[in-house]
Amino acid sequence: MTHDYDLLVIGAGQGGLPAAHMAANLGAKVALIEQAEVGGT
Amino acid sequence: MLWSGQVMHLAARRAAEFGVEIKGPVRFRMEKAVARKDAIVRKIQKGIHGALNKRDDRITFLRGAARFVGDHEVDTGDARLSFAKAVIATGARRSVAPIAGLDTVKFLTNRSALELDHVPESLIVIGGGYVGIEFAQMYARFGSRVTLLGKSPRLAPGEDPELSDLLATYLRDEGIDVRTGAAVAAVRAEAGRHRATFTVAGEEHEASAAVLLIATGRVGNTDNLGLGEAGIEVKAEGFIPVDDQLRTSQPHVWAIGDVKGGLMFTHVATYDGPIAALNAVKDQGRTVDYRVVPRAVFSDPTLASVGLTEEEARNRGYDVAVGKVPAGGARAMAIGDTRGMLKAIVNRADQEILGFHILAAAGDDLLHEAVAAMYHHGTIDRIGKSIHVHPTLSEMVKSAAKAAK
Repeated sequence: MTHDYDLLVIGAGQGGLPAAHMAANLGAKVALIEQAEVGGT
Repeated sequence: MLWSGQVMHLAARRAAEFGVEIKGPVRFRMEKAVARKDAIVRKIQKGIHGALNKRDDRITFLRGAARFVGDHEVDTGDARLSFAKAVIATGARRSVAPIAGLDTVKFLTNRSALELDHVPESLIVIGGGYVGIEFAQMYARFGSRVTLLGKSPRLAPGEDPELSDLLATYLRDEGIDVRTGAAVAAVRAEAGRHRATFTVAGEEHEASAAVLLIATGRVGNTDNLGLGEAGIEVKAEGFIPVDDQLRTSQPHVWAIGDVKGGLMFTHVATYDGPIAALNAVKDQGRTVDYRVVPRAVFSDPTLASVGLTEEEARNRGYDVAVGKVPAGGARAMAIGDTRGMLKAIVNRADQEILGFHILAAAGDDLLHEAVAAMYHHGTIDRIGKSIHVHPTLSEMVKSAAKAAK
């Protein structure tokens, strides 16, 4: 079964951002979704 | 904003000691401090967007609130998208303490308290943890009359008791009314003021102030994620349980940072992120190691620590040597701040550093010498015998290390 994305990261704070970048660097197709501001609180 | 408080403190209270004469009153402009903070945040966010744009070949950045509608699908508000694996990194927020009357009054949280356009004449801070301490001191330095109510017998419970007591003394010296062991029973608004009733050792007291700030517990940001739809277990406070690989109860979903509870620090989230990604993308089975997680209360002086306290080390059966020195020395005198104390906690059997606790100017930066040594189970000699630049605050770290006999 194929999916739209290899990895979905929910939240672009100081945890989600490095997770998304590492996954991208490893070759994954990543979706990063944020409802407020990037960078977290 | 904390730094604005520091500058205000030096300008309003201490400039003359350093030979700086200020004619006329020193005034704090809250709106300018907030604008400065906002400009810094915008610059950081611009950098983040820039890095994401450079990686847009592989990262699609979406705006919206994701809600699971199945174990491999979310609704983003605009669309539905499917994923093979997921990482939940939604963080945590202040929880509202179960205090009678809190639902009838207006109060600030750590977020809204950074958006004020004026300095309140007076402020009650409920919560004696990291956030409560930082905001109490910051607002006191802005010019507010501050009452800090902490439920535990000491501020920053869990930290070294002696350093915690010293910090409370310094806060009182700055004019903050610090009450510990203070259980707040109720709050109410009356004639435009906020009143909090609290008990200390069974005796009832009341504090009143223009503004109320709640800095008590935290809850995970999971309410609207639809975790049930994805079969992901969640605890009562909204935190997601994970295993040592950061995997949730759903094997293809990981949770990182504050949303998993436990050590809620930004630097833990930043540590977690790549580990979850390696496990999700490459199935590497990496485990987290939280043995050496530094902590800091951004008070002035800063309370910073890593590893075990003396009491924790003894409770674990270690024969402990403690290297304890007062903050001081040439550099501390030069910058006019000799407040504080440093403690090295060492395993007498093999000289391994078990913990390091610093209450001193720049303690948060000073700590990392110990953090780096502890990461590889370093002995106290690494710090005690290496040459340190004179005159620096880091010499205090070396002094504490040498005192651990």
